[in-house]
Amino acid sequence: MSIIEFRKTSKHFGDLKVLDEVDLSIETGEVVVLIGPSGSGKSTLLRCINGLEQITGGDLLVDGVSVRAGAKQLRRIRQEAGMVFQQFNLFPQMTALQNVAFGPRKVRGLPRAEAEAQAMQLLEKVGLAARAHHPPSALSGGQQQRVAIARALAIRPKVMLFDEPTSALDPELKQEVLNVMRELAQEGMTMVVVTHEMTFARQVGTRLIFMEHGKISVDGDPVQTIASPPNDRLKDFLQHV
Amino acid sequence: MEVDWSVVPGFLPQLLAGARVTILIALAGLVGGTVLGLIAGLMRAYGGVILNAIAFAYIEVIRGTPIVVQVMFLYFALPVLAGVRIDPMTAAILAIVVNAGAYIAEIVRGAFLSIPRGLTEAGLAMGLPQWKVLTYIVGPLAFRRLIPPLGNQFIVSLKDTSLFIVIGVGELTRTGQEIMASNFRAVEIWTAVAVLYLVMTGVLTFVLRLIEKRMRIL
Repeated sequence: MSIIEFRKTSKHFGDLKVLDEVDLSIETGEVVVLIGPSGSGKSTLLRCINGLEQITGGDLLVDGVSVRAGAKQLRRIRQEAGMVFQQFNLFPQMTALQNVAFGPRKVRGLPRAEAEAQAMQLLEKVGLAARAHHPPSALSGGQQQRVAIARALAIRPKVMLFDEPTSALDPELKQEVLNVMRELAQEGMTMVVVTHEMTFARQVGTRLIFMEHGKISVDGDPVQTIASPPNDRLKDFLQHV
Repeated sequence: MEVDWSVVPGFLPQLLAGARVTILIALAGLVGGTVLGLIAGLMRAYGGVILNAIAFAYIEVIRGTPIVVQVMFLYFALPVLAGVRIDPMTAAILAIVVNAGAYIAEIVRGAFLSIPRGLTEAGLAMGLPQWKVLTYIVGPLAFRRLIPPLGNQFIVSLKDTSLFIVIGVGELTRTGQEIMASNFRAVEIWTAVAVLYLVMTGVLTFVLRLIEKRMRIL
């Protein structure tokens, strides 16, 4: 069974059709890189997976559960799918450690000491144990995003969703975030990544999806697809990123 | 008649008693008003169509009518309409609760909605229910932004208690008025009344500053 399954999934914002009957199956262990021009629906596709956007047509199953099965089931899906945002969205009133421990404490009901011990391990994993007791405002963008990745991992998800995780970062800070993501992929984490980082797509991605006008226009092996784009639109797009 | 400040100390116990009533009304009214405002404000910000409409109607009616009319309504019209008689003190407290609640509701709504949407999404994306996101993430941040405008409203409401002179509550302004009626010492008595109001609002400002400092506005 696929971990994520779009079945003729549509999403409308009023009259605007952002996703147009998308069919897509993602298997455990895949690293799917989503690219496309702005407004093509790639972020919306990602945000439908954990129900931050409600689908308006078709169905979408995550780990066998429909995103339309009600609030309780949706919360279950969200615990299986960690999300990393373009703007990090760390909680500003908490330290890095508290940010990471927050999910396990409030979602899984772990005692504080246990949650923080686990959070410390995750911060070590992303190379930020030394910054554990700093608030987000005292961290660089790259560090904040690494904390955000640790925070998403803390709820022990089966899938990680990345929504342009490096778009708000300076070039030299992007690399530290991409490195953490690369390690995660090597550990076998299933990942869906909206990004413009083509090097990452080529080296880490197992699958490249190019979206246009709410539809999947190209779906293939990243290395091959980037080397010889099957259509002119993708060719044109790749020249501009 | 010459200005003679020596008359003030003699009336001080009476004025302080009036100030005590003012403080009592303001305190009870503001605690109730904050609770009511919190509920109405959250209904406005997060409630469905019906809850939102109820809160909206309440806020519009209260903000659109003078507080003097509201307290007169509570004290004089309610007994006729509903057959409930309430004493002036209850009417005064109730008026502050209802009145401040409407303004505080808008303050609460504004503060909660000013917290970036991304933080709510980050909380929801973890699998937290909406109420936990509001309680643990948005609420504490909104509270910090609430304090300055809330302080403003507290001061306005405290001074609004002087309007309850119209239903005969023995608060500070009414007390001043009564003393005036007996000795015509306008300058001395009204100055003393004004200073007492200043002391009360000053203490309020000081306490709010303290909270603000401890909370470290983000």
